[in-house]
Amino acid sequence: MRRPRLVERLTLGMQVPVTLVNGPAGAGKTLLVADWIAMEESPSRPAWLTVETEDNAPGVFWTYVLEAMRRLGLGPPDTVGSPARPGEVDHSLLARLAAHLGELTEPVVLVLDEFDRVAGSTEIADELEFVLRHVGEGLRLVLISRTEPLLPLHRYRAAGQVTDIRGADLAFRQEETAELLNRHGMHLSDRGVRALTERTGGWAAGLRLCILAAQRAEDPDIFLKNFEAGQSTLADFLLAEVLDTQSAETQDLMVRSSILEQIHPDLANALTGRDDAHPILAGLRRANAFVGPVGHSWYRLHPLFAEILRVHLRVRCPGLEPELHRRAARWLSEAGRFAEALPHAAAGGDWERTSHQFVEELAIGQLLTGLDAERLDRLFSQMPPATPGPAADLVRTARHLTRHDVDRGLDHLRRAEDNLHYDGPPSAALRLSCAELRVLAARMTGAADLAEAAAQDVEAARRAVPAERLEAHPELRALMLTDLGSAQLWAGRFDAARSTLSAAVRLHDGPHTAFPRHECLSRLALIDFLRGWPDRAERHAREAVAEAERGGLPPATRTGVAQLVLAAVALDRDELTAAHANLDQAAASTAAAHDPIVLAGLSLLRSRLLLAKGNPEGALHVLDELEEPHAVAEPSPWVSDRTALTMAGAHLAAGRPEVATEILGKDRAAGPESVVAAARARLAVGAVEEALELLGSLPGGPEDGPAITTRVLLARAQAADALGDSSAAERLTARALSTARPARLRRPFVEAGPWLRHLVRRRPELTRGHDWLPPALLGHTRVPHAHDTGPGLLTEPLSGREHEVLERLAQTMSTEDIAADLHLSVNTVKTHLKNIYRKLAATRRSEAVRHARELRLL
Amino acid sequence: MRYEIRVDGEMSHTMTEAFPELESVVAPGQTVLSGQIADEVQLYGLLTRFQSLGLHVVEMRRLHE
Repeated sequence: MRRPRLVERLTLGMQVPVTLVNGPAGAGKTLLVADWIAMEESPSRPAWLTVETEDNAPGVFWTYVLEAMRRLGLGPPDTVGSPARPGEVDHSLLARLAAHLGELTEPVVLVLDEFDRVAGSTEIADELEFVLRHVGEGLRLVLISRTEPLLPLHRYRAAGQVTDIRGADLAFRQEETAELLNRHGMHLSDRGVRALTERTGGWAAGLRLCILAAQRAEDPDIFLKNFEAGQSTLADFLLAEVLDTQSAETQDLMVRSSILEQIHPDLANALTGRDDAHPILAGLRRANAFVGPVGHSWYRLHPLFAEILRVHLRVRCPGLEPELHRRAARWLSEAGRFAEALPHAAAGGDWERTSHQFVEELAIGQLLTGLDAERLDRLFSQMPPATPGPAADLVRTARHLTRHDVDRGLDHLRRAEDNLHYDGPPSAALRLSCAELRVLAARMTGAADLAEAAAQDVEAARRAVPAERLEAHPELRALMLTDLGSAQLWAGRFDAARSTLSAAVRLHDGPHTAFPRHECLSRLALIDFLRGWPDRAERHAREAVAEAERGGLPPATRTGVAQLVLAAVALDRDELTAAHANLDQAAASTAAAHDPIVLAGLSLLRSRLLLAKGNPEGALHVLDELEEPHAVAEPSPWVSDRTALTMAGAHLAAGRPEVATEILGKDRAAGPESVVAAARARLAVGAVEEALELLGSLPGGPEDGPAITTRVLLARAQAADALGDSSAAERLTARALSTARPARLRRPFVEAGPWLRHLVRRRPELTRGHDWLPPALLGHTRVPHAHDTGPGLLTEPLSGREHEVLERLAQTMSTEDIAADLHLSVNTVKTHLKNIYRKLAATRRSEAVRHARELRLL
Repeated sequence: MRYEIRVDGEMSHTMTEAFPELESVVAPGQTVLSGQIADEVQLYGLLTRFQSLGLHVVEMRRLHE
């Protein structure tokens, strides 16, 4: 039935960003909006999304919103991306969406029906508000809801930015009731119409039920008279009346199906134990009573009626509910619909079968990644500890491992392996799931051998599973390769890790594989960096970040490895501010607390950053914790190497080459950079022959990137310089410079030592055309003598107070002004100034400021 | 905390079964439900249940014991 007065308001509503259609269940909200669209009164075909309770995870919600828009061909293009996680969605994705909508010629109308189902989620409300704020005229939001959304409605209302259609507006007026009755061939007197409208409060569902009941009553007039005079609550009375007029089979089907969100005829048959659901549901749909179609032969009970029918079920068939839930769980999990099956399994207590089915359907990876992960995890959290069977233990393993609880994860994994033959010979799916989790556990304990062995078991099990079933679960392969590659990387098997991770990146991409892709690209970047290829490392790290953004992953949920690599590359380029920023982002990742690679990387880079800022003792202090053996993981050879290398660098900078030698001597099998550091430590004590011997032992393969080659060449140049062979020193330095130029690797030159500056001062033409070098190295600035232990180093760091004084000095404030500004006496400031001059090896103010700038203290 | 909730209309016996934790008394044109409510979570849960069953709450108050 058309309701022009309300349709008009919806059309007018298109002039403001938000239209709210609020009212109780059965008020006719959805029908009204659907009718408005059908009448083509809406400006463009709207994107329609009926919100489900499961959608209150923001990632899931936005996935469906984007899908609803894409279905209409309204874009948004793939560059906007799709959420890869159920949780919070990164605002960059929403900003891209808003930008895309803002560019369209016509606003997109987005209808969110049954929005009350996610009304409790402040995240979704915040995110909707964010999009509305940034979209300009590009979006018209129509919210159909039983409750008010958590948007800042008072603000919208004050600005006239919202159209409200509320329960009182939706209520049928007398003339509308009359029209409705006419359409059903019923004619009442004016008094009768008024009484009926009053009795139902104009409530649409009540009127519809009332007409249905009257039509089926022996004498409709008497029914209506009795109804008007009655005092019963509307919904329950009317529903009971209408239900009573249905056949016993129909009643039984409706009451039993009330436990379902959506009804499929075959599922309904499973609940009734009969085979008549197809004709019954089709009949109910034709009568437009209770059920509506949702496509692909699924039906949906009107939510209000479903609630009331559930009450009837409990009264009519007490104790039957759990059994119905078990049947529904079985049917749904056999149909592969786990997200829907699990709540029924929980209600029916049939966990053994459900977990078995879950594993058999190869769904185990969905607990580890993708949009359903958190929901499945929450549902399985209700599984009692007594549920037996290897499948239940595999589910527990996956849940513990995603929480980084390796010990308990391993306990359950062992129990699952011991019970693999619990139900006879284990199926391929069971073996595959078990091996997949073994790869993950091996990764978390840094055990590359175990990971490789488990990966072979995965391959063997995969061969026994039909290809199309494997194709339906791309996440399994992506996860396995990511975990295997990570374990290989930790163990320093860089070639193997690189080929494993590259294979994972080449896999088909989708929301289920977005996170593994992001991890793989980050780790490929790390391998590039460790091999001395900063440009490639940066490229891979940026791809990893782009992949995370496309998947709407907020920074905290990313791996942190990409940011670590970017920090390391910036440090090699001597861009300390950028290095700092990237390091902070890496530390903000939640993985930072669990992933041994991130933990080690953070300490190493913090230490190197402190060293670059002239604080070798601080740099050493940061490394203390790395020396403690990790609680879970096996030690990683390259992490130990790098730790030794960084410690040695700090000791060398602090003027303790013997300590550096001793540290590096402990690990003779270390990589080229450690050999270079050892050679430099020998050079620092004048042991040139030993240094040359060390450098001569370097194989120098084609795998070594410019970051390594540059350091090797510089160490050779230093040795040549120490031997007085200045032409060789110049030649090697020139080669080092041209090797470093494309990636602008400034750090090796900055930390090379005083010999390089002396060389450059003698032969300034060496650095000609190398404007990328820091000014101190270009030969035209005299570097203060005090820093000959290494440029960029202070023999004694400035105190906080001294730094404050220095800053004011740089603003050419007078001593008196500085004293007043800092609430200090003039004499105290003079003492600070003296110390600053001493530490900066300056005799005058201008000199102190210049040196401080060169050392980037300002 | 003991609460009393008044609902518009006379609830059927079946419908009162949906609130086994509450006692119900049907008065002319109204149903009065009362019982112990542990905390706010339960209270809001109850109100949602009333709403989802199409029942209109007209009054709700806390009783002094």
